[in-house]
Amino acid sequence: MTKTVEMTTSAGVLRIELDDEKAPLSVANFLAYAAKGHYDNTVFHRVIKGFMVQGGGFAPGMKQKPTDAAIANEANNGLKNKHYTLAMARTSAPHSATAQFFINATDNTFLDFKSESPQGWGYAVFGRVVSGMDIVDAIERVSTGRKGGHDDVPLEDVLIQRVVVV
Amino acid sequence: MSSNTLPALPALYEIEANAAWRRIEFISDLHLSAQQPRTTAAWTDYLVGSQADAIFILGDLFEVWIGDDARQPGRFEWSAAEVLVDAASRRTMGFMAGNRDFLVGAAMLKACGVAALPDPTLLSAWGQRVLLTHGDALCLGDEAYQAFRRQVRSEAWRHDFLLQPLATREQQARMMRDASQASQRRQTAADWVDVDAAAAVGWMNAAGSRELIHGHTHRPGSEVLAPGYTRHVLSDWDCDSEPLRAQVLRLTRDGFTRVDLVP
Repeated sequence: MTKTVEMTTSAGVLRIELDDEKAPLSVANFLAYAAKGHYDNTVFHRVIKGFMVQGGGFAPGMKQKPTDAAIANEANNGLKNKHYTLAMARTSAPHSATAQFFINATDNTFLDFKSESPQGWGYAVFGRVVSGMDIVDAIERVSTGRKGGHDDVPLEDVLIQRVVVV
Repeated sequence: MSSNTLPALPALYEIEANAAWRRIEFISDLHLSAQQPRTTAAWTDYLVGSQADAIFILGDLFEVWIGDDARQPGRFEWSAAEVLVDAASRRTMGFMAGNRDFLVGAAMLKACGVAALPDPTLLSAWGQRVLLTHGDALCLGDEAYQAFRRQVRSEAWRHDFLLQPLATREQQARMMRDASQASQRRQTAADWVDVDAAAAVGWMNAAGSRELIHGHTHRPGSEVLAPGYTRHVLSDWDCDSEPLRAQVLRLTRDGFTRVDLVP
């Protein structure tokens, strides 16, 4: 089973298929944040060409938003960090993902699950962009710089305006 | 160590940033090999995606390099060279040898279109003079290593080693690496030898530079070594084992920033 959401951004609309069979926790988590409007008026705050675009944690002006509890890492679900897939961002602790996610801008094999050890957990893929790939490409290419103590921040905000289930 | 035994700054090679450049990036200590496929893939992606006008690799790009003749179709060295060829078609690429890949030679770099950077090299960019080194030559506390380094960096050793068949060289490289890893395992993190601060400041001073970039120690960070003298230590890379590490040091007109290529 999959669920589809539409993510409206200032660069255009992404249609995203969420795999709630293989990544039930991550999908439920993402939909819960979406339902309460957490992602509305947040930015893609970290954009690295040839790698990924990351968002879901900061309001414009690099103001970090509060999050709910961290979820378990579902990277062992067989889904790979292919181009245009969505995965949960986290700290170096394997089970620390909250609201932030990233869209892979290339096949990032090195982010895939290897083993259930602190050395091999990898990053949990839970969905993929099924239309609006050109929007992802456009976001990936924006000019970036240093802002609010962070690097690779788009110089002009790329906003997520809303995320709705369709 | 008393100051009169500090090594003098070796003959200084200088390069100047092109006036049109806006971004220069530095990486080191990737320790690439056929056994590190994910790190190699992350490095390849980085070289394709980076918007830098120049990328300087400051040593230990490869876990080991046993001679430019190892660059043969079907071998890891061949595919890595192809990545460098592509990278050099996009921007200026420079390579400085480290303690693992000091046998990367002129033939390999020429084939790849990559500029050889002697250790040390002074880079002038946007009015700054930045000294670049791998760093092992300044780790004076490890006297056994310094003796080993003098031996393997000699022209005679290089000549004799490269005369041997590829298979023999591979075996010798493996033995040297095992010996080095065994000796590292006997040490704790606190014992790891660092760059000698006085020697590093001496090099900067002699080069008319206030900023040093080095790798080798795998302890990334920027630190004031003496008033007015800063060093920037590059991170090692490992995308085959967590915690994933893939960091780039970036220099622009506005100064230094670090970019982590992991989520």
